[in-house]
Amino acid sequence: MAGSALRRLMAEYKQLTLNPPEGIIAGPINEENFFEWEALITGPEGTCFEGGVFPAKLIFPPDYPLSPPKMQFTCEMFHPNIYADGRVCISILHAPGDDPMGYESSAERWSPVQSVEKILLSVVSMLAEPNDESGANVDAAKMWRENRDEFNKIAERIVRRTLGIPT
Amino acid sequence: MGDEFESDTVVASGNQDELIMQQQRQIEREISESTALVGDLEPIASLNNEYSNDVVYLEKIKDLASKYKYMRRTRPDGNCFFRAFTYAKLERLLDNKIDFANFYKIVEGSKHALVELGFPQFTVEDFYDTFIDVLKRLGDIKTATDAKKELHTLFNEQGYSDYMVVYLRLLTSGQLQRDQDFYSCFIEGERTVADFCHQEVEPMYKESDHIHIMAACAAMNTGVRVVYMDRGTSKINIEHDLPEGTQPSVHLLYRPGHYDILYL
Repeated sequence: MAGSALRRLMAEYKQLTLNPPEGIIAGPINEENFFEWEALITGPEGTCFEGGVFPAKLIFPPDYPLSPPKMQFTCEMFHPNIYADGRVCISILHAPGDDPMGYESSAERWSPVQSVEKILLSVVSMLAEPNDESGANVDAAKMWRENRDEFNKIAERIVRRTLGIPT
Repeated sequence: MGDEFESDTVVASGNQDELIMQQQRQIEREISESTALVGDLEPIASLNNEYSNDVVYLEKIKDLASKYKYMRRTRPDGNCFFRAFTYAKLERLLDNKIDFANFYKIVEGSKHALVELGFPQFTVEDFYDTFIDVLKRLGDIKTATDAKKELHTLFNEQGYSDYMVVYLRLLTSGQLQRDQDFYSCFIEGERTVADFCHQEVEPMYKESDHIHIMAACAAMNTGVRVVYMDRGTSKINIEHDLPEGTQPSVHLLYRPGHYDILYL
């Protein structure tokens, strides 16, 4: 089984290298182990995360792509759909039926024809448009709803940190 | 300080949900893994053990045994329809070289059709390759008896077995999307056929309904008879041929939530 997962991950890596989606770089941290990837995601333009370069880790299960990977940002993040420890909580990372967050039934779910690229694109949309209904970080969700200026300030500070600019 | 405490509890409760889910999964897995992916032939009467004090079911098992000789159990992991259907279809095809060759051609053309529907090639490829690989291996074996043994072996190897299931799920999804005008009236609520496919057909472990069976039959150009055995008070099991009016080549036993294979 791990053989098939490896073959698929290599194909996805190749695909991402040949046709990288805008603002996203991803690949295995070490080519000896294709089950752990690092991704760099640039904050979408016109949003409070614009200009930031956010590193994240993706861990793939041995039965990938039957089951989805897990994704965790490794930099500081403050966002309604990201846990305080950086874990990303969006519907495409879950199979239908796994509903810790009560996702909308129309939301995109994991299946074997999804891909790393689809996940990363969903994460970019998530950065642009947080879903404050499914709060992985309730404080961030509340601030996003009620005090957008303050939220933007925190986002800006995080952006500067990812670039190594003093805050 | 107050804020810090709050955010800690939030994280904890998030983890809690996930832990519960993980545990649930673990329990389900343990139950389901006690059954082989596809079991050996058993006489119909082997069902009696499960219902020894149940008059309704015992009557129905009697009825079933008057029509069918054997059954083959499949693992109850949500993939049972797809696994049972593919296994039974291939097993049947091994008795007839011409039918087998025709089926091979259908499958050979199917990847292109899926890519045309918008499935990304690199996500479909591995499942298609496995399906074709299994067909080739079976086709290369001289006698039907030996080929059926190989089929049984391959379907009990998780890697092969699950990839066969995924590919049939994709073919079923493709069929639904191609004929979406027809299938859309069977989908409740606001969902489009494509949404339904992404949520109920393509993901592993999602159980199958009538609509999955209809589309899978159309995709595999196969008729199936489903024998429904439930707590209804009639002494006879209700049978349903899909598509209606066709000569079924695959026979499945349905008990609420689960499909097994039947043999005349």
